[in-house]
Amino acid sequence: MLGRIVRNMSAVYRNAAPPPIPWLSEGFFDFWSTRVHPLWTLRRPLARLLARHQASADAVTLELQPNRHFRGMQAGQHINLGVELDGRLTTRSYSPAALENGRLAVTVKRIAGGKLSQYLCEHAAVGEVFALGQAFGEMLLPAVLPPKLVMLAAGSGITPLRALLRQLDVQGMPGPVDLVYWARQREQLCFVDEFKAIAGRHPAFRLHLAVTGEGAARVGSYALGSLGDLAPAHVLACGPGGFVDAARSRLQARVAHFDSEAFSAPQLAEVEQGSVQIQLLRTGRTLSVPRGVALLPALEAAGIQPASGCRMGICNTCVCGKTSGITRHTLTGEYISEPSVPLKLCVSSASTDLTLEL
Amino acid sequence: MSSVHNRVLSAAELQRFGDELDAVKARHQALLGASDARYIRRIVAAVRWTGVAGRALLFLGAFVHSLLVPAWIAGVLLLGLSKILENMELAHNVIHGQYDWMGDPQLQGKTYEWDIAGTSENWRKTHNFRHHTYTNVRGLDDDIGYGLLRIFPEQRWHPFFLAQPFVAVVFALLFEWGIAIQDLRIGRVLVGKMTLKQLWNQARPVGRKALLQVLKDYVLFPALAGPFFLPVLLGNVAANILRNVWTYVVIFCGHFTADAETFPKECVRNEGRGHWYLRQLRGSSNLTGGKWMDVMTGNLSHQIEHHFYPDIPANRYAAMAVEVKAICARYGQHYNTGSLPRQFGQVMWRILRHAFPSKPAPARPLVAATQAEPG
Repeated sequence: MLGRIVRNMSAVYRNAAPPPIPWLSEGFFDFWSTRVHPLWTLRRPLARLLARHQASADAVTLELQPNRHFRGMQAGQHINLGVELDGRLTTRSYSPAALENGRLAVTVKRIAGGKLSQYLCEHAAVGEVFALGQAFGEMLLPAVLPPKLVMLAAGSGITPLRALLRQLDVQGMPGPVDLVYWARQREQLCFVDEFKAIAGRHPAFRLHLAVTGEGAARVGSYALGSLGDLAPAHVLACGPGGFVDAARSRLQARVAHFDSEAFSAPQLAEVEQGSVQIQLLRTGRTLSVPRGVALLPALEAAGIQPASGCRMGICNTCVCGKTSGITRHTLTGEYISEPSVPLKLCVSSASTDLTLEL
Repeated sequence: MSSVHNRVLSAAELQRFGDELDAVKARHQALLGASDARYIRRIVAAVRWTGVAGRALLFLGAFVHSLLVPAWIAGVLLLGLSKILENMELAHNVIHGQYDWMGDPQLQGKTYEWDIAGTSENWRKTHNFRHHTYTNVRGLDDDIGYGLLRIFPEQRWHPFFLAQPFVAVVFALLFEWGIAIQDLRIGRVLVGKMTLKQLWNQARPVGRKALLQVLKDYVLFPALAGPFFLPVLLGNVAANILRNVWTYVVIFCGHFTADAETFPKECVRNEGRGHWYLRQLRGSSNLTGGKWMDVMTGNLSHQIEHHFYPDIPANRYAAMAVEVKAICARYGQHYNTGSLPRQFGQVMWRILRHAFPSKPAPARPLVAATQAEPG
């Protein structure tokens, strides 16, 4: 239905963004160039929605055409997709499958209360242009294929593993692979026909569906005996934080290799006390700062000197990008949980672990 | 000099005054959304289209000689309009971070670069930080007379200021260049606090930006007209001067009217939120004139609201002004507003009057006796 995936995307995207041109304003260029073609920008990666298909009862697959500034991706990686909702660029991470014509197939599961997933599932119209980030993520196929590969997926955790499976399918399933896929209800399962087709083509691939609403056990008590000898296995687990934690505590010591990736929202602590970890992307440092203390003095106390000015939230000198975590405005007490937004260090305190563009 | 009477507030009143003004901000911040995004994008589009139309008309006049005069005049007006809109309603507000919440990478305060000789980087320091934090505080806010003019009697007189009615006119014509070199504080070289070499090193980023502006407006576009370069060159000069004079007039009306006050440095020590608002109010003045005046001044017609809420999108100021004005009235605080001719007339009078020696009126306290206490 969506075409074949490709192994090496550098054949499709060979155009890196041009270096900054001092005499050409990017805003000026993009204003006019996007009037000629909506994807023509000087540097910004963008993607256009070309088609949409219902993937399951509560999921939609969007076929996206990235522009030339997207540097491609490997199976299992994620991209950030941004849509302007009520004036705000709202960004979420998805795990697309790369198609051979350079397009991306993103499957979006509708989440109750999820701003972007609801928009993408119900309102996004063909032809719309989205903001696109470069691919990231470490959930890749091992360079040397292990004697046995076990994939554990729960909910939307299936999407990066599906991308890996499609790649293995193209490679002719070079070794034994087991996929255990958990969902609450049967109609929430995605790509089942596709997985069955792969299993039909390659006997080395075995599919195990576990619908907990129909009595199947969760990962903590699932009968792993059906997967055979796990000692030499390379395990990839992907799903909500609780699922991944349970899988890790049960399997990590029993298998040759355990890789995981968790999708879950950061959890707010009951009280604004204790400390959190702050990861600084530019300097590569990770440090611990107290909750409830404005980030600017907290960072300064840790020996970091961000640019700053008024220290009262008006001059915008200390503004800095945040890519994950929840902060609190020290003057209004308001929590800011949107993952990718700029914040002012002098009037924001960390409520959870944060990642900052510093 | 001033005839206004501001009620002296008690510490408790000052606290409530600040809380009420904070509440106005919170209410409007919660309303930000698609309409604000649409507004700023419409301004972006207006800047781009008027800019292209203005330049096209200058070329039309250059090549079709029968249309030279009308096309040249219309071209200058449109190009000037484009630059005024870009500098005031778009760049100034975006650089304040007013539209950061949209997440649009091209409308971020930290990275926006504007169409003017000076760099956004210097502006963020002299304007966003120094001017907005220490508004009209003598010795901290370099915008008081820009180190060139004596606007307030509290500034020390010097025979140089006798020339200021003339200096002020030249400064208006070259305003963008004054802004460009403001952060270099060239005066420090004259008094020996900085060597010429240090000045040269500091001036390099500004020089590079200014050179690009000169090349764009005075070399590239005139050269495109080939043998008819002269009307295009003069058109660019005229549009830049138009922008310079207009921004100068609007900005001078913001803090230099008759009732605007300056403050001593002690004023900002341990300054609380309410006190900070009060200082911003007494140092700022608005312009009446309605919607067009708001757009053309980049909403600096709401200078008071802009100083209260520099990071709230300027398209909200008109609505906020209704509430701010009512709060000021309730606390017996003068809300300084008037028509452009009235306010600029007062500015011109200050420039003329304080060219000559003058004595400050006795300082009026901002708050009741507790002022010196911390907190």
